[in-house]
Amino acid sequence: MTESTTAPMLEVRGLVKRYGGLVAIDQVNLEFRPGTITGVIGPNGAGKSTLIGLIGGAIAPSAGMILLNGRDISRLPASERARAGIGRTYQIPRPFLDMSVAENLEVAQYSLAPFVPASVAREEREALLARTGLADVASLQARALPLLRRKRLEVARALALKPRVVLLDEVGAGLVDSEITELIALIHSLLDSNTAILIVEHVLRVVRECCARCMVLNFGKPLIEGPTAAILSSDQVAAVYLGTGGDRQTIVADTAQDAISTVHVGAPEAEASVLASLTAPVVASAGGVALLQLAGIRAGYGQARVLQGIDLTVETGQAIAILGANGAGKTTLARAITGAISPSAGTLLIGGQDVSGRAPHQIAKLGVAHCMEGRRIFPTLSVEENLRIAARNADAVAVRARLEAVYDLFPILADRRSQGGTAMSGGQQQMLAIGRALMARPKLVIFDEISLGLAPIVMDKLYEALALLKEERMTMIVIEQDVDRALALVDHVYVLEHGRIALSGTPKQIFADPRLRHIYIGAAEDAAPSKGLAHATC
Amino acid sequence: MNARVGFSIEVAALVIAFFVLWFLPDVTGDYWLQLGFRICIYLTLAHGWNLMAGSAGLVSLGTSCFVGLGAYVAVESLNGFGLPLPLVLVLCGVAGGLLAVLVSPALFRLRGLYFTVGTLALSELLRLLMVNVSTFGGATGLFLQEDPPALPVLFRYALVVAVVASAAITLCARTRVSVIFRAVRDDEDAAAQMGVRPFRVKLGAFVLASALGAAAGGIQAVKLGAIEPYGMFGLQWAIDVLSMVIIGGVGLRLGPLIGALFVVILGELLADYPEAHIAAAGLILIVLIRFAPHGIVGFAAHWLSLKLLKSLKRVPA
Repeated sequence: MTESTTAPMLEVRGLVKRYGGLVAIDQVNLEFRPGTITGVIGPNGAGKSTLIGLIGGAIAPSAGMILLNGRDISRLPASERARAGIGRTYQIPRPFLDMSVAENLEVAQYSLAPFVPASVAREEREALLARTGLADVASLQARALPLLRRKRLEVARALALKPRVVLLDEVGAGLVDSEITELIALIHSLLDSNTAILIVEHVLRVVRECCARCMVLNFGKPLIEGPTAAILSSDQVAAVYLGTGGDRQTIVADTAQDAISTVHVGAPEAEASVLASLTAPVVASAGGVALLQLAGIRAGYGQARVLQGIDLTVETGQAIAILGANGAGKTTLARAITGAISPSAGTLLIGGQDVSGRAPHQIAKLGVAHCMEGRRIFPTLSVEENLRIAARNADAVAVRARLEAVYDLFPILADRRSQGGTAMSGGQQQMLAIGRALMARPKLVIFDEISLGLAPIVMDKLYEALALLKEERMTMIVIEQDVDRALALVDHVYVLEHGRIALSGTPKQIFADPRLRHIYIGAAEDAAPSKGLAHATC
Repeated sequence: MNARVGFSIEVAALVIAFFVLWFLPDVTGDYWLQLGFRICIYLTLAHGWNLMAGSAGLVSLGTSCFVGLGAYVAVESLNGFGLPLPLVLVLCGVAGGLLAVLVSPALFRLRGLYFTVGTLALSELLRLLMVNVSTFGGATGLFLQEDPPALPVLFRYALVVAVVASAAITLCARTRVSVIFRAVRDDEDAAAQMGVRPFRVKLGAFVLASALGAAAGGIQAVKLGAIEPYGMFGLQWAIDVLSMVIIGGVGLRLGPLIGALFVVILGELLADYPEAHIAAAGLILIVLIRFAPHGIVGFAAHWLSLKLLKSLKRVPA
């Protein structure tokens, strides 16, 4: 009896995954005991998602064994592993879009137990939905869910398998503090003496508060493994995971006070000049016409009214940030500007021209580029093809110059130019998405959640690039979860709350405004004083 | 709750339709029975095709290989063993299902378009086999030695086959099986990660569609009295059925019925102008794909819901 509780439930031995010459996972050994939560952290491209794919069965290993209760499952297909009790989530959610949220769970329920009485299945489903905070949208189509609800659905679907091993891939990415608190509570509630949980996560707070032990993965190799507290405080880990940067809190304080100077430190002057080919010429706007002007914009999806009247002006050369908690309407605002959804009321002026209700391609033609949430890289195209496709109307010389400029901005893309667009790590894909938005030489770029799910060091790189663009007077709208980074970059900030603009002002004003914290963090407010206290004692 | 109501309504509609149509031979003449027979055969085939394409994402051009197989099994078993016709039709279905099981390990390795081409190759292969093997009558085909039953009897057999097909589809679409089918169609890998075995689900749809297709082919062969490989394994079967489902609405419950009715009736109206018939069918297909990608049923449902929405909006004002 005692032996069964201490023996590992899932054991990974000498796991290797090669893609041609690239070793994505190199000799990984792991043990998961029932009743434990293990964390795997590491920079982008370290092989964390590959590890989840290997254990879940989506990817076949090149070598090594995966033992579930002593039985080798490394040759079983994903479906058999799921039935054996391994539930996983996808980093980028893959719900069945045309099914309702409840039906998404039925897939797992009925595939495991085809003859379970409907009432039993329904009760289980309702309990699961309530537990994952989806009860109110049970009958809604998954397509209608925003990204973060889809992430919850991923977790709910994995749980519908009644799994013994739960693999959670970046479920905390993009959540605000209060939601992370809920997530941590949820993860703890999943754990019982028969379950083991593996968390791959960038949000270190989740790892810190959930995992007793964790492992750091770097370039596919386990770098260090041990108790979480010891790992997170190790210098070696800080160097790999966070870059050489020290305490980010202090940097933030500085940058917020003097945004421009800090971001530009270390940026070679030569690089900036090349970027001129990516930024549309600044035409003196006749009679002070703003580049973009929104007046009373209302928009939404079906019954859900998301934007409740937005007034907003962007001048040429200005960088603005749109902030707000999840569900405030940030992405919907971006979609309304680019024409992906047409506003139900209000006017949208681009360069003084009324374009409300125009199709996305017509608005794109006016020089608005959208770097979309979730990257949307074309998987069948190579990196360079992904870039070229955004500049189809330009002549060959211009395309070459713009390509050079993008490669200059993100040298890693030049190395990967002939690789498949989605064969790269998340951070590299995000660079590609940014580069692609720039290839059209837009007058205005909207960057939607570019830092979502990325390691801090990668975020730094992206924001350095944005700062360079800003120096070239690129007009941009930055939609961001990460308040500090956005504040450090932009000239003007709008904070959305429930589809309305609740605050606006310069970064300095917003940073100092006590209401920001309230809007953004909401329920997590209670946790704030204790955090402040901890700081004071340090 | 809603699903259960829908299920009951469908079953009731099916039972009523069956009893009403059963007595059709008593009130109408041969012309209508011929038409009804053809609609029943096409409805059966279209249901099978729609199940594969609309529910499991398998686009098949192999309809003819199962129609042909059913035809040959029916004629051989009637001539060789003198089996009763109901048993022969069951045998056709079993043969169709078995062939599907037999070829599935090879065919299911192919995804998307490659699967489609694979099914096309399979029916060509079977046709060439029939042409070149003298046991099956070679290129001249086989004749039914006994006289086929009278048209009213044949119509009732076809009706039973069509009702069985509809009932099977109702079971697939209205019960919990439907979410499994849709999961595999929408994202096979994600479905597998949730414990669904995509191979089995696709095999299930393929076997059911093939069994129905072979039974339809069997009754068709009995009606014809003489079969030959070029007709029974002809691509025309696949193209007819595919266009019916697309015209009716792929993946929609009423798509096969509306599509089969539409195409057969259109063919009847233009029977005197065979060239115009083909041109008209082609034109309709183009127009539908351009303006109503979900077929007649999808278009009608969209239009109705718009009207309903408008009328609802008017009420509070």
